[in-house]
Amino acid sequence: MNKESFLYVVVFTFLVAFLFVFVIALADNATASQVARNQELVSAKAFLNAINRYQEDSAAALDRFESIFGAVEGEEVVEASADGETFLVKQFSGQGVWGTITGVLAVNNTVDRIVGLDIIGHSETPGLGGRIEEEWFKDQFRNEKITTGGITVRKGEGRVDSDPDNASVDGVTGASLTSAAMEVIINNEIETLREAVR
Amino acid sequence: MSNETPAGVLKKNLWTDNPIFVQILGICSTLAVTNSLANTLIMTVAVMLVTGLSNITVSVMKTLIPRKVRMIVQTLIIAFYVILVDIILRAYLPDVSRTLGPYVGLIITNCIIMGRAEAFAQSNPPIIALWDGLTSGLGYMAVLVIIAFIRELLGAGSLMGFQVLPAGFTRWTIMVMPPSAFFLLGGLIWAAKTIMIKKEAA
Repeated sequence: MNKESFLYVVVFTFLVAFLFVFVIALADNATASQVARNQELVSAKAFLNAINRYQEDSAAALDRFESIFGAVEGEEVVEASADGETFLVKQFSGQGVWGTITGVLAVNNTVDRIVGLDIIGHSETPGLGGRIEEEWFKDQFRNEKITTGGITVRKGEGRVDSDPDNASVDGVTGASLTSAAMEVIINNEIETLREAVR
Repeated sequence: MSNETPAGVLKKNLWTDNPIFVQILGICSTLAVTNSLANTLIMTVAVMLVTGLSNITVSVMKTLIPRKVRMIVQTLIIAFYVILVDIILRAYLPDVSRTLGPYVGLIITNCIIMGRAEAFAQSNPPIIALWDGLTSGLGYMAVLVIIAFIRELLGAGSLMGFQVLPAGFTRWTIMVMPPSAFFLLGGLIWAAKTIMIKKEAA
């Protein structure tokens, strides 16, 4: 058979493409439920971490999430209480530099302190903007005071801002745009949470 | 055509024909992923696997592929393996998948993989092609690991995420930013070439 004939080229390319795409579709289908479970777990852990009740164990995390938050619909504001404290928790998504940043923000019931922040997903540059998901960055938000203007993400010296009363945290060195985007996202969320209380 | 020995291929891919030092391929990812050692390792292992597997596949199919569409078919094969790697990471190593994010997909555009498929797999039998792919990936890994080691150590004072330098250490901010990879890579190529030229002269 002539390998360079028009018919052979078309049939061959079609068959090869069909075969490979078919295998990928199978693999994607076979792992879909696993991926969905992973996603559920990531967001359950993020909700718990935001209210400072992180559970490492997967089963325990899902149980705890269920008992504190019940079923959370999309990005609604959830009022949750644990151990006598009441929090307002909201999943958020906002525009980062390369894509959407999603996460969970928790504030106290008077919206004057942030309880915690966790990042669920982002597509920021790994090693630069991607460092917003590192503990040192997220820990800066613990118990941070909220002023009328919200909070500020400063251009710091790449050190951690450990003062919870100055309503500002240090941004990521080398990732000014991601840091600025985080400031906008969080302040928008704080505004939404304030309106929810009114 | 198949007079390549496994040892010869290994030496070529690690040193005399190293994809980064000599062929200057795959530079984009060298600059992008080398600011943390852990990410670099996972990324380079993925590249190694994809290069090896796509090489063996191209080699097995080489008599069937019409010349006119060989590049398209090679790209298809490479993309196939990269997407499989991405799916596996997402399902079974979600944390790794989260940190690497968009870079897994970008393995498709790593010139080393296409280069090996064109230059080696097309004209050699499957097993040696697999070996060539794996060792090319290894040559790539060796260089990236050296750069990542220096960048993470000086830029964050840590290795694999563990703090190794004392807390008082002043971090070299430039090391976590892409330009430092340019300097380090340039320096490494310079050093490697100097040694090669000396050996040739001797």
